[in-house]
Amino acid sequence: MDDNTSHLKKFQKELSSGTVSLVLLAVLGQSRQPMYGYQIAKRLEEVGEGVLAGKQSALYPVLRNLEGAGLLGSEIEPSVSGPPRRYYRITKPGREVLREWVAAWNATRDSVDNVLQGGVS
Amino acid sequence: MNAPRSITDYLEQLRTALRGADPALIQDALYDAEEHLRSELAEQPERSEAAMLEHVVSSYGAPDEVAEIYRDQEIKIQRAIRPPAQPPRRSLAGRFFGVAADPRTYASLFYMLLSLATGIFYFTWVVTGLSLSVGLSVLIIGLPFIVLFFGSVRVLSLVEGRLVEAMLGMRMPRRPVYPTTGMTLMQRIGRMFTDVHTWTTLCYMWLMLPLGIVYFTLAVTLLSMSVTFIAAPLLLLFHSDWLPGFYVDHQVTVDWGFGAHAPNWADAIGMCAFGIVLLFTTLHVARGVGRMHGLIAKHMLVPRTDG
Repeated sequence: MDDNTSHLKKFQKELSSGTVSLVLLAVLGQSRQPMYGYQIAKRLEEVGEGVLAGKQSALYPVLRNLEGAGLLGSEIEPSVSGPPRRYYRITKPGREVLREWVAAWNATRDSVDNVLQGGVS
Repeated sequence: MNAPRSITDYLEQLRTALRGADPALIQDALYDAEEHLRSELAEQPERSEAAMLEHVVSSYGAPDEVAEIYRDQEIKIQRAIRPPAQPPRRSLAGRFFGVAADPRTYASLFYMLLSLATGIFYFTWVVTGLSLSVGLSVLIIGLPFIVLFFGSVRVLSLVEGRLVEAMLGMRMPRRPVYPTTGMTLMQRIGRMFTDVHTWTTLCYMWLMLPLGIVYFTLAVTLLSMSVTFIAAPLLLLFHSDWLPGFYVDHQVTVDWGFGAHAPNWADAIGMCAFGIVLLFTTLHVARGVGRMHGLIAKHMLVPRTDG
C-alpha cells in the first residue's frame, strides 16, 4: 500500500509541477481584483485536491518567474499582518499566452482521454 | 527535526534547510514564507501559532520540503531566464572572436555606460542623506528622517539588484529583507543600524561613483579608439583642408614613432586590423568587468546567510 501511495504522490507532483503556471495564469485571469500569493493559494485550496497536490510554497517562485516573463504585473501594498504584500494581476500578453496554453492543455487532455478510452486502434 | 512552534522557529529551520544555497534565494524564500505564514495567522487570529503551523506544514510545506521546492524551482527558473549558453569553442580564434556572440557581453557594456549615471545618483543620495541625517540628529525631526533615509537605501539596493541581475546575470534578491516581527519598533530601527548589511550597502552606493567613472571611461575610450582605428582606411579617401591642422599638404599623416609620414595602404590596413583586435578585446574587457562587478554587488548588497 505504501508503494501505491508513493507512486501516486510522485505522479501528482509531476502533474502539479507541469500545470502550476497555467493554473496561476487562469486564476488571475478570472479574478477581477489583483491577488497576492496567500490569496491565490487559498483559492486553489478551495478548488480541489488535484491542483494542489504540490505544496503551496511552490507558487511564489513561479509567480515571480511569470512576472519576470511579463505575463503578470504586480504592485506592492503594505500589510498589517507582516511583510508588504505583492499583488499580482494578469497583463495583456499574459492573456494571450493563457489562451494558447489553454488550447494546448485542451488538446493534451483530449488526446490522453482518447487513449484512456481505448480510442487508439 | 522538531516541529516548529512559532513563525520564528519555522523561519530558522527554513534558513538551516537552505544552507549552502544562493544567499539571494534564501532571502526570497524567507520573505515568501513570512508573508504566507503571517497571512495565515491573520486569517484566524484565535488560533495559536503552534496550531497554525501544524496546518501550514501540510499545506505550505515543512521547512525542508520548502527548501527542496525552492532549489528545484531555482534551477528551472535559471534555465528559463538565462539565454542558452554558447557552445564552448576549442580554438584560440574561436574563443577570442566568440565573445561577440555572447549576449551577456553587450548587456555588460551597457551596464558600464549606465553605471556613470546610476553611480552619480547613488553617491549623491548617500552623501546627502548621511549629511542631513547627522545634521538633523540633534533635532526632533532627525530620527524619522534617518529611518526614512535608511529605508530608501534598502529600496535602492533592491532596484540595483534587479539591474545587476538583468544585465550582469548575477543572481540577486527579488524580495527585500524583512526583519522578523517580534521586535518592537525601536528594536527594528536599532537593528537597521547594527546590521552589517546596511553599511555594506551604503559603501556600495558610495563606491558606485568611482566605479561608474572608471567603467564609463574605459568603455567610451576603448570603443572610440577601436572604431577610429577600424575607420582608418576611410581617411585615405579624403584630400581636403576642411579641418585646419588635421592635414599636412592636404593629407593626413601618421607617426609610428619614427617621424610623421603620409600613410599608405599598408599603414591603413594595419591600423584597421589593430582596431578590430582592440574592439574584440574591448568586448572581453566588458564581459570581465560585468562578472567582476556582479561579484562586488553580490557581496555588498546581499546579506550573509548567518546574519
